[in-house]
Amino acid sequence: MTDKTILSVDNLALSYGSNPILKGVSMQLRRGEVVSLLGPSGSGKTTLLRAVAGLEQPHTGSVTIAGRAIYDAAAGIDIPAEKRDLGLVFQSYALWPHKTVFDNVAYPLKLRKVAAGEMGTRVHAALKNLGLDHLAERYPHQLSGGQQQRVSIARALVYNPPVILLDEPLSNLDAKMREEARAWLRNLIVEMQLSALVVTHDQSEAMAMSDRILLLNGGVIEQQGTPQEMYGQPQTHFVADFMGSNNVMKGRIGDIRGGEARIDLDNGMAVWGLRRTNAAIGHEACAVVRVEQAQLCEGPGDNRAEIELVTSMFLGDRFEYVFHAGDDLLRVWGKTHEAPGRRWVSLPAGGVWIF
Amino acid sequence: MLQTLPRRAVVALLALSVFFPIGLVLWQSVLSGPFFMPAAVPSLESYAFIFNDPDFWQAGRNTLAVAFGMGAIAIPLGAILAFIMVRTDLPGRRWLETPILVPIFVSPVVLGFGYVVSLGPVGFFSVWFQELFGSVPWNIYSLASIIVIAGLTHVPHVYLYSSSALRNLGSDVEEAARLSGAGPFRVARDVSLPMVSPALLYVGVLVFFLGFEIFGLPLILGDPEGHLVLTTYLYKLTNKLGTPSYHLMAAVATCIIAVTFPLVLLQRALLKSAQRFVAMKGKSARQRPLMLGPWKWLALALILAWLFVTVVVPVSGIALRSVVSSWGQGVNLLEVLTLDHFRAVFEEDTMIRSIINSVLIGTLGGALAIGCYLAVGLAIHRKNDGLARFVDYIVLTPRAVPGLMAGLAVFWVFLFVPFLSPLRSTLFSVWFAYAVVWLAYGMRLIQSALMQVGPELEEAGRLVGASHSRVSRDITIPLVRNGLLGAWLLVFMIFEREYSTGVYLLSPGTEVIGAQIVSLWASGAVDVVAALSLINMALVGIGLAIALRFGVKLHD
Repeated sequence: MTDKTILSVDNLALSYGSNPILKGVSMQLRRGEVVSLLGPSGSGKTTLLRAVAGLEQPHTGSVTIAGRAIYDAAAGIDIPAEKRDLGLVFQSYALWPHKTVFDNVAYPLKLRKVAAGEMGTRVHAALKNLGLDHLAERYPHQLSGGQQQRVSIARALVYNPPVILLDEPLSNLDAKMREEARAWLRNLIVEMQLSALVVTHDQSEAMAMSDRILLLNGGVIEQQGTPQEMYGQPQTHFVADFMGSNNVMKGRIGDIRGGEARIDLDNGMAVWGLRRTNAAIGHEACAVVRVEQAQLCEGPGDNRAEIELVTSMFLGDRFEYVFHAGDDLLRVWGKTHEAPGRRWVSLPAGGVWIF
Repeated sequence: MLQTLPRRAVVALLALSVFFPIGLVLWQSVLSGPFFMPAAVPSLESYAFIFNDPDFWQAGRNTLAVAFGMGAIAIPLGAILAFIMVRTDLPGRRWLETPILVPIFVSPVVLGFGYVVSLGPVGFFSVWFQELFGSVPWNIYSLASIIVIAGLTHVPHVYLYSSSALRNLGSDVEEAARLSGAGPFRVARDVSLPMVSPALLYVGVLVFFLGFEIFGLPLILGDPEGHLVLTTYLYKLTNKLGTPSYHLMAAVATCIIAVTFPLVLLQRALLKSAQRFVAMKGKSARQRPLMLGPWKWLALALILAWLFVTVVVPVSGIALRSVVSSWGQGVNLLEVLTLDHFRAVFEEDTMIRSIINSVLIGTLGGALAIGCYLAVGLAIHRKNDGLARFVDYIVLTPRAVPGLMAGLAVFWVFLFVPFLSPLRSTLFSVWFAYAVVWLAYGMRLIQSALMQVGPELEEAGRLVGASHSRVSRDITIPLVRNGLLGAWLLVFMIFEREYSTGVYLLSPGTEVIGAQIVSLWASGAVDVVAALSLINMALVGIGLAIALRFGVKLHD
């Protein structure tokens, strides 16, 4: 732990009855950093966030914020949620329907016994910051989804918590608004120099928003790193498959040469790729190739095969070709429309991972 | 959500309020005499006495006949009624909904009295029928009549549960069956009915259970020919031996609880399984009603006929009886019209007191009861620990004790506990008994209101720095305000309707209309009973009108 660390989670474990949800998770969040907790549903990412917030009851491990232990199973410390001084933006926004926008944002200050005059100034400043000042007297149901989200952020920021937690912040917005909100939120976090922990199930959202990503799977951290590392250097099959659009094909190891291996795929193709498995020659393995790595090409060569193009799909900025290779469907992107028929496809060795 | 200490205090008080009276009943049942007599020693002679009493066995057989007969009538009728109301294009469905539920809110003792003055030997409808057709084919005092009337007046209970199950049933599952090639009646038989069967099973147990508890109807209708059920047997025991036969009454009560308590637990288990079924529902789009064609007029006629028999006949009978001085064959209605009965009511202090007390117990008492239920509700809100599960069972327990018995037990408590005895002849004792008897009902209202509050709204309060009690005060309670108001109105109606719980607590100062009617009926004061019954129905009616005005759902 360095003194730049603002949130530190150490070996946190949590179960519902006999069902373990978190199996010992450790992570750090540095001051001014955005970390995403990414993972499929049931991976424990929301549970981890809620455990940090004090809304779930872990049974081992510890959580420290700005040097203050807020949970420590060994020392018997468990600060209740209201004393942890954290900001949480709920997935559903959780605005109190019986309070106006102003009262929603003012409530945390009221609990902290801030004088009325100062409270008004701070609430209006917070609302102004988020472009909501003209909506102060409205009730939550009179606002659009995007406005509600911003009120919820204002409420979580108004008392200057050291860390802000965001639970699936974009999932309640419609698809088109989501990309704009993503840019807006990232900009806000950077501009206000917030330290943020964000839960998301969307890998592109995680990559766009965060400085670091923690990928959870089955209650443990599968891999963590910068978005580029997570996308470009996956250490396990799960990480490779979860990040990006992929072709996944099964086969057996045919040859091994240092850090590379040849896999003889069940569909008849044989390709060289980066070896990420300890499986010996003859053992089962699988190849993962990002869709953008596969290319149409003119003729035979290394890591190339002639296979049947079934159909071309127009995606707006590109075409996606669907190939039959044995029992596998292989997807390849390109710029032009291609008629069905046999074509050569190249899977460059640097873009193939063998797990 | 309360902190640990107040939470425990609330639960401890609740447990004491429920288990102490019931424990007293069980203990009394194994004593040789009333518990306050020094000579009373532990013994099973009370059981020996009642088990040797042929009347007890006759009452038991009658109770079974009533419980099963009621179910056989109420369940099919209620289920059909629900299907017609929810799933078909019956004309006038919207305005039929409220009258259908009326029998639930009318005191059974008032209903029973209504049948006597309408269909009894010299009842209005009997006399008119005789003048038209020469003779009357029914005998209102027979056991069969009691069963039929009990069955018909419990149709609304079945209707409530089956209609909400039918509404919860997503139309997508039915549409899927239609598209797979099933006709409308195949769909009803193969999909709809099996899917609401858990609700029907639940309601079957409920009706059987209500049959065991039934008191008002057999008290009024069974008396002339001596048809006893267990509750009326218990009531008559008071005078059987001349001395207070508390130990015998406790033994009978224990026998009733031995049947009803397992039924309550069974209901709980069934309700849980029924909810699992409902949880699987898909998105329910607007259901397309089944076109009945010309049959709809027959269906409407049947429903109106049922309403006539269960609502119009008893209610109009009471209304008429309260404004005539006498009635019989050959009496001209216009000549006997009078307001004397109401004058009599308003001239006597006890009557005025009973009306004032009834209003007080419904309004203030209702609000106080809601406050207590809310405290318990908040103590277990979003908790799933041992304490919360314990409360679950405490709440269920009084459900198994018939009101008559619970009133007696509370009477004993106020007799037995020194610092409570000054309160025995105050309205507080009646309120306490009412609040305990209707605990399960009130808690269901409160809990369904509390469950409407999204958990994240409370969590958001915690996160920004509010303690548990602050969250309750600033977020949970303001959000359930409307639900509490609705619950208060429903509890008002239930408290006005209540009659059996106050019977043993009746003393100068604690008169309430329901108990007063029971006691006056025994003395044969029909005129005053008619006037009081009408006033009682009017009070319930006011509550109902306000509830409907505010859009309170009459069931959850």
